[in-house]
Amino acid sequence: MSLEFLQVDGASGAPPARSPMERLAVAAGGRIESRDGWNVVVDYGDPDGEAMACAESVAWIDVSSLGKLEVQASAEDLAAVAAAGGAALELGRATRAAGAWWCPVTSTRMVVICEAGDTAALRGRLLDAAAETAERVSVVDVSTVRAALTLAGPLARETFARFCALDLRPDVTPVGALRPGSIARQPGILIREAEHRYLFLFGWALGEYMWSTVSDAAVHLGGRAAGVDALEPLGELAAIEEGAGA
Amino acid sequence: MSFLLTCPNCGVREVTDFAFGGEISSRPKARPSFRELNTYNYFRRNTAGVQREWWFHRSGCRAWFIAERNTTTQEVLFTALPGSEPEPAA
Amino acid sequence: MSRLPEQPGERIARHKQITFTFDGKQVKAYEGDTIGSALYAAGQRTFSRSFKYHRRRGLMCCAGQCPNCMVSVDGAPGARACTEPVRQGMQVEHLNARPSLEFDVMRATDLFGGPFTPPGFYYKTFIRPRRLWPLYEKVLRNAAGLGILREHQEEREWRTEYRRRHADVLVVGGGVAGMAAAAAAAERGADVVLVDEGPELGGRALIESDRQQLGRLVSAVKAGGVEVLTRACALAYFDGLVPVWQGDILHQVRARQVVFATGTIEQPLVFAGNDLPGIMLADGARRLAALYAVAPGNRAVVATTTDRGLHAALALERVGVQIAAVAQLRPDPGPVAEELSRRGIDVLAGYTVLEARGRKQVDGVVIGAVNGGAGERTIACDLILVSGGAMPASSLLLQAGAQTRYDDTRGHFALTDMPAAVFAAGEVIGFDEAELVERSGRLAGLDAVHALGRGDAESQAAAETVRAELSAGARSASVAVAPGVSGSDRGKCFACLCEDVTTKDIAYSIEEGYDSIELAKRYTTVTMGPCQGRMCQLPSVRLMAQQTGQSLGDVGTTTARPPWVSVPMGVLAGRPFEPAKRSSIHGRHRELNGSVKWAGDWRRPYDYGDPQGEALAVNRAAGVIDVSTLGKLLVQGPDAGAFLDRLYPNRFSNLKPGRIRYGVISSDAGRIVDDGTICRLDEETFYVTTTSSGAGAVEEWFSWWLADWGMRVHLTDLTQGLSAVNLAGPKAREIMARVTDLDCSNEAFPYLDGQQAPIAGVPCLILRIGFVGEVGYEIHFPSAHGEHVWDALLEAGSEFGIRPFGLEPQRILRLQKMHIIVGQDTDSESTPYGAAMSWIVKLDKEEDFIGKWALEHYAEEVPTTSLVGFTLADGHVPTEGSVVLDERGSPAGQVTSSRFSPVLRRVIGMAWVPTPLAHDGARITISDEGQTFSGEIQTQPFYDPAGEVLRS
Repeated sequence: MSLEFLQVDGASGAPPARSPMERLAVAAGGRIESRDGWNVVVDYGDPDGEAMACAESVAWIDVSSLGKLEVQASAEDLAAVAAAGGAALELGRATRAAGAWWCPVTSTRMVVICEAGDTAALRGRLLDAAAETAERVSVVDVSTVRAALTLAGPLARETFARFCALDLRPDVTPVGALRPGSIARQPGILIREAEHRYLFLFGWALGEYMWSTVSDAAVHLGGRAAGVDALEPLGELAAIEEGAGA
Repeated sequence: MSFLLTCPNCGVREVTDFAFGGEISSRPKARPSFRELNTYNYFRRNTAGVQREWWFHRSGCRAWFIAERNTTTQEVLFTALPGSEPEPAA
Repeated sequence: MSRLPEQPGERIARHKQITFTFDGKQVKAYEGDTIGSALYAAGQRTFSRSFKYHRRRGLMCCAGQCPNCMVSVDGAPGARACTEPVRQGMQVEHLNARPSLEFDVMRATDLFGGPFTPPGFYYKTFIRPRRLWPLYEKVLRNAAGLGILREHQEEREWRTEYRRRHADVLVVGGGVAGMAAAAAAAERGADVVLVDEGPELGGRALIESDRQQLGRLVSAVKAGGVEVLTRACALAYFDGLVPVWQGDILHQVRARQVVFATGTIEQPLVFAGNDLPGIMLADGARRLAALYAVAPGNRAVVATTTDRGLHAALALERVGVQIAAVAQLRPDPGPVAEELSRRGIDVLAGYTVLEARGRKQVDGVVIGAVNGGAGERTIACDLILVSGGAMPASSLLLQAGAQTRYDDTRGHFALTDMPAAVFAAGEVIGFDEAELVERSGRLAGLDAVHALGRGDAESQAAAETVRAELSAGARSASVAVAPGVSGSDRGKCFACLCEDVTTKDIAYSIEEGYDSIELAKRYTTVTMGPCQGRMCQLPSVRLMAQQTGQSLGDVGTTTARPPWVSVPMGVLAGRPFEPAKRSSIHGRHRELNGSVKWAGDWRRPYDYGDPQGEALAVNRAAGVIDVSTLGKLLVQGPDAGAFLDRLYPNRFSNLKPGRIRYGVISSDAGRIVDDGTICRLDEETFYVTTTSSGAGAVEEWFSWWLADWGMRVHLTDLTQGLSAVNLAGPKAREIMARVTDLDCSNEAFPYLDGQQAPIAGVPCLILRIGFVGEVGYEIHFPSAHGEHVWDALLEAGSEFGIRPFGLEPQRILRLQKMHIIVGQDTDSESTPYGAAMSWIVKLDKEEDFIGKWALEHYAEEVPTTSLVGFTLADGHVPTEGSVVLDERGSPAGQVTSSRFSPVLRRVIGMAWVPTPLAHDGARITISDEGQTFSGEIQTQPFYDPAGEVLRS
């Protein structure tokens, strides 16, 4: 029996998949578009203001539609599967390769995070690589196990400080750092994607809680919600691929 | 209790990131007597000093690991994944 | 308003006038004033009434240390007038005096009650008769206290929040030493946070007229990029975490190294009438003059044990206060005293103050030789400055693990062993000459940098140079130690101003046997008031020593505990974090008017307004319930079956792919931990469900054993990733036919089968299980499609009378089938045998499994109590938790679940009863809130006992 019942992209004839924060985003004025099988908040009616918040204060962006694939294997096999995808694994670092973040949470478990539209293809590639290994490799689609937010802007770190004890100072958490740890008192995984940009994953059922916690802190610091179109594509941010490889 | 603990996978975190799994006790290898079984189930050494214990990184990587900690000073002597911990001092 | 001419460091902006009210009267102030300085300038001398005797109290420390000027600001009690800045229009009121500060009827306790209200008086007097306590309490609570919270606070939101700050070095105390430490560390690249209680950096240096050193250090701190937090109090030291309260924010500072430059606290002297308004600490009076340009008095007498009081005399004389005399406890005058003499001031060496005179405020003082003898003098004055030495403000250092030892030459408890990652600098470790204070700060900063592993040869050399200079430069000269009390035969002498504890009270408690400092503290409450020992710890230790004949070192000190300053509860609370899990269908439940309540850490609908009707709909037609909260674990790998065999008392390795089996998890003590179903998806893949509340614990339990056993198994927690709904009822199959192409006939999809198929276009795992007793399909699918599938089922079922049902109707339906709820019908002592599930334990499994040895033992024992069902005839639904009585009428068990069943039309329940009673037809007697009810025991399910409906 396959694990098709875990896959959002397996649906046909169903409406687009929805983030657990969609209702709150819509209530905040979010404009929804369907992209790659997902309802995505593209903007809140003020694209320039949203982009400005990302550049000058802080904005939070619902990116729950990101594909998330969990791979479990022996340390050697896990490294081999990652290598097949162009990523070298190192605990504490997320590697950017093939348009995805390769995140070794332990030496025997990683989460690979990609754009929603790439999920099926990436899953296929991972399963292909898994077939080549000595021992069993498990690939599970966990896209809906964890929701995701991006905090972007120079005040992002100060915003995290309101609900998160992780040490995000640049010398401790450089770009590309992977930090599984408590976020708003719940299990989380944080990636510093760029100088002023952090992606974090948390339990899907905690969507409304996390939205209200993050928005409370960010708004108080002058921030706002932003749509996904306010985010620069990661590939265009300088030196990430090189930084991750170093 | 606000000390820091180093998760072998994730690094240094506040102790509130973790769940405490109790002192390490060994499960009997073969069928124990009822008295031995009760000792295993219900009795703890409750050391005031250095002991080895289980911790679980509940808010992070969700892995179990072993720590050696001084229960009176909260000094953590080491943390390690099971199987890679140093031999206990005799 | 009487103000001095402009002072070099004054904080007030004379061109900006502010008005506020004190007890309804308008008071004029300048921006930069504190409530205290403005009131004092306006002539106010009485600021509060004391806790027990309602004596007048006035400004004393002017530094937020003592309890004397506590007021209420805009309805919130607990502010200290001497540090609280004025704001336009603020309403300030006195505390603890009725009807007014000037005329307080409770003053009678002082005039007449003194000798009759020793420590313990209230405990001893008002204990009997017990029934009158509520009355006593009302009176006593009104008589004593530190203000009254308004019963109906105005609606106002007070936003408080936490802010996490990681740093390389935290420096507590922004005086000369703290600034020097912060600058030294920051110059060498450390990320430094500097906190100070005052509105600006400077500490004691702010009252000095030479401001050159101050200016240089402030610039160095700024240049180093130090984050400076002013009006910020470090509250505690918790294993390296230092909470810093600043207004509405609680900074949680986690620094790798902490430097404490917390300075000293000037100590009062204890003598007759030592609490009268007009008696001030020497530095307090200086602060009033230097920072707010307010003359503390016209004619002052100074009594001091150290140079600090002499410096104050000089400073105040310079601004025009007449110094009538200086009583210097030390027999040798010293250079400062000589300077005073040169200026024509009478310095009396070997003298101390015996008694303050005056009714509402000081109008004179009696001083005398310390060693008794002749020469007693009465001097008219309106101000008495006292300085009883400086106590290191070492509380935070002690919390961090530093030790103290009594230092004879200095007359206080000095710090000895410094813990790792903690440094101290400046006055707190005994330096009081400005240049040495600065050097000790610089050294602490360098030491912190080196402890960080930074620094270089240059910084090492610099540190060693300073260290050498410091050990060469002596710490301050020895001081005279103040006597425990002087003039005690002349009137009340207060050891503790907060709680109105007199020296007699302490003597009395020692006589009663409370002769250690920790016991005396608890009995008299000395050091337990708002000042937390700042003004009374050292004096009470001195008294104790004087009374018991011990040395001060032997008396010791009380334990330093957080918080260091009193802090509003709202600040400690911060923002509310209430992590609620919500199913992806939650929005629909709200739209359907579900009564949403907490269920573990989830928000769930208990019902949709009609629990009985909802339950009936399931039995008669169809119902659908959101069970997304169920724990869901994917267990994969070659050893997956063997792994589950070791975790469960029954067997799963022989389960056929596509089939489902119920399982109960037991602990190694043989107790029921959790239950759920397991569906084998393929040879190496199992889909395990757990209870909603046990989901997290089961995952941790599985991964713990996995960590120990090291089997080839991969665990994935899918709990939040999948929505799950249970469609059940006689019409369930027909509804399924409308939403899926899957053949749901009983032959193609029998009971306990698990199959995958799309429902309404969404790929689903469908488990044919039914814990509500009807044909049922438990449907699991990606959370992102929650509402869509829910809507599709309700729409397809509408013509069949489908209803959504909540947790409450589910309880009824489960109970009809006697399906236990772990944690409701079982507790930490329940075994599968007692819970009538012996069938689930497979002791014939050769392999070891968790709980096997204990279960083998319990298999041979008859359990004392057993879980059974019961019915009650007379319609009363017994409270869950009601007591089951045995034949003698003694408690012998308890009711765990009870409901009225709408389909059976009678009361049903489950209960633990003595095992001899656990058979069909036996009588059960239940005692519920004084009434007893009789019922009949039943061991088979109330509804469809043979399970035919379920399998049909």
